[in-house]
Amino acid sequence: MSDTRVCPEYAARLETAAELVNKVREEIRKGVLVKRNLVWLELTGCSGNIISLLDGSNPDFKYLISQMANFIYDNSLMAAEGEKAMEQLFSIRDKEYILAVEGAVATKNNGLYNIIGRWKGEPITALKAIELFGKRATHVIALGACATHGGVSAARPNPSECVSVQSVLKRKVIKLPGCPCHPDWFLGTLAHILLYGEPELDSKDRPLLFYSTLIHDRCPRRSFFDQGIFASKLGESTCMFKLGCRGPVTRVDCPIRQWNQYVNWPIEDDTPCIGCAQFGFPDRMEPFITYNTTRGVRNVKEDSNKSGYTN
Amino acid sequence: MSKRIVINPVTRISGFMEIDAIIENNIIIETKTEGLLFRGFEKMLNGRNPFDAVYFTQRICGICSTAHSMASTLALESAMGVVPSEQGRYLRDILHGCEYLQNHIRHFYQYTIPDFVKLPENYPLFTTDQHDFRIPKQKNDQIAEHYFESLDISRSAHEMLAVLGGKAPHNHGIFVGGITTQATTDKIIKIKSILHTIRQFIINKMIPDAYIIAHYYSDYYSIGRGYGNLLSYGCFDRYKELGTLYVNPLVYLDGKISTFDSEGITEEIDYSWYKSQADAYKPLETIPDADMNKKNAYSWVKAPRYFDKPFEVGPLARQWLSGEYRKGISTMDRTIARVLEAKKITEVLNTLLQSLIPGVTVQEEYRIPETAVGTGLIDTTRGALGHWIKINNSVISFYQVITPTAWNLSTRGNNGLPGTSEQALIGTTVKDVNNPVELGRIIRSFDPCVSCATHVYSQGDHVKSIQVVQ
Repeated sequence: MSDTRVCPEYAARLETAAELVNKVREEIRKGVLVKRNLVWLELTGCSGNIISLLDGSNPDFKYLISQMANFIYDNSLMAAEGEKAMEQLFSIRDKEYILAVEGAVATKNNGLYNIIGRWKGEPITALKAIELFGKRATHVIALGACATHGGVSAARPNPSECVSVQSVLKRKVIKLPGCPCHPDWFLGTLAHILLYGEPELDSKDRPLLFYSTLIHDRCPRRSFFDQGIFASKLGESTCMFKLGCRGPVTRVDCPIRQWNQYVNWPIEDDTPCIGCAQFGFPDRMEPFITYNTTRGVRNVKEDSNKSGYTN
Repeated sequence: MSKRIVINPVTRISGFMEIDAIIENNIIIETKTEGLLFRGFEKMLNGRNPFDAVYFTQRICGICSTAHSMASTLALESAMGVVPSEQGRYLRDILHGCEYLQNHIRHFYQYTIPDFVKLPENYPLFTTDQHDFRIPKQKNDQIAEHYFESLDISRSAHEMLAVLGGKAPHNHGIFVGGITTQATTDKIIKIKSILHTIRQFIINKMIPDAYIIAHYYSDYYSIGRGYGNLLSYGCFDRYKELGTLYVNPLVYLDGKISTFDSEGITEEIDYSWYKSQADAYKPLETIPDADMNKKNAYSWVKAPRYFDKPFEVGPLARQWLSGEYRKGISTMDRTIARVLEAKKITEVLNTLLQSLIPGVTVQEEYRIPETAVGTGLIDTTRGALGHWIKINNSVISFYQVITPTAWNLSTRGNNGLPGTSEQALIGTTVKDVNNPVELGRIIRSFDPCVSCATHVYSQGDHVKSIQVVQ
């Protein structure tokens, strides 16, 4: 890994997801690397991370399933249904595989608030699935806000008693927070595992490759902040700190990476960052949008005690 | 002899559901559709900043998040008394149209195609043990190629959305007043350019592919009809200068089309695990409490009704009500209507893009009232979506969401009659009970989004996937 202490932006640019994937491709051609089995579990959430994955480009989804991984299981995309689909999932138990998980884990009523399928007549809850498949995986990658720390699924009063993947797994879980997770954050992390093994992680198990620097530190509107020029409503081109921007506490590379073919990102869309890639989203990041008239509408600290967040 | 078929997971939908069907002499005589995911958004929203509903409710659903930003924004505007400018409406409807295209292309290729087209077997994701593949190899393989090509096209639909919406899923652009940013000329031409490519794909590949499938599976024109009651809240409609570009709020019942009346919406809960003072209520009246011990209840899906009747919502309802397509109401008609609607949406988007004035700002510094009530009704990708909000002490005190999938996958009504998709399943002949492909195909034609229709599961009698029960 290069030294990110000198200039994080430069280092991040050198090691984009595309760069890593190209290395993987070279290694595969040499016969050094083989494709690894990949299981994708959608648990208690909105299934938005698999949709975000389909938005990836270079590497894209086709490259992922043809060149990087044997994509074994995903509820949204697999052809099989019912028992056959579950057979496919359970057949992986004796093999080596990497596990990607999106969604939190509903624990209320023994996990019965979220059933992901039925195996030999028995309902498989999200809780049961993560216990069954989390322990055996060579790597577990939790992606999206819900899987990494509870996210919106665990927002107060947390009716389904959702918790993070880490809360039910006593093992290393690589965490890729974001709502949703950017496809590059996942594909770059996977590429790193295929090529070099586990990427360098911070104290909260986030890859430094993507989560090393605050949005605020690389924000193109930073000069307005420094000069004290603040927007009073959405749609203005200056600093949105006073509209509730969470860039100063959110550690991720949105300002230089951007979204959806790298065309835009929330701050360039003239809206505040809502801290979706920060632990504690949404309760600890609210209110998302506030004008001076609505500032302090409720006590966020008090409310967040009722949510199911971890970390 | 009766047999019971249970399919779980029903893959290639958003979220989790189970189909439970009783079959006699190969004919489905009784069925239950159950959602298997509950998060409780309506409870979570209480006490939050009303503006935050726009971003918060998007997290109900990862594939149709933009739909919820539309409905929540409309509900807020209704509560706040904000009337958006026509430019503001054009701008946010453009984002909404991009979402339609992303959804329809992914639903057709990624969710529907694997039911009818054999995809390359060297991918574990595409292994299946069903064998009702009827399309000749050359045509089959061409559609399979389009499966992969479509990934670039649906991705570019999200790219268009992000040009003005910041990112997708879970956009930042749609907000009170229209959208947050300005559509400058470079952004407008970027969207037009992407839209041109998407439109060519829909016309040259997606629609022909749907008709190839329809040709070899023409029996699906005669199954999965359901009640045939159709409803739309309207979308891309009633612009001051442009008029209605797609469909007005209308209903189709007993062969007659009439104007939709929002007073007719109720939810019934006799067969759902909820308790309330009334077993049927209007959206702003109550959020019922959970009661898993309730007799006769079998699901946490509620039963939305329009003047006590179940209705189908979605692309076929809109195509029918707008007069664009009226060939029939069935499993295959739903799929045909979906691809035809994709083409229609590209035309709507082109008209809206041509009507934009570049660089217009539509944002103001908005104030949340101390007390207010608002309703946001809009037809979205999967059909009629409603958000209802009450504001008290300037925070959300009540939030109701009735999703399109709740209409389509509802439980029985209080009169005991099945929900819309349950009715569509009943009467279907299952050719091979060991390989009951018909059920999944019928259900998928509704494009259910169980992430949206927040349900819960009750531990009941567990059976194997296929089991003789009598």
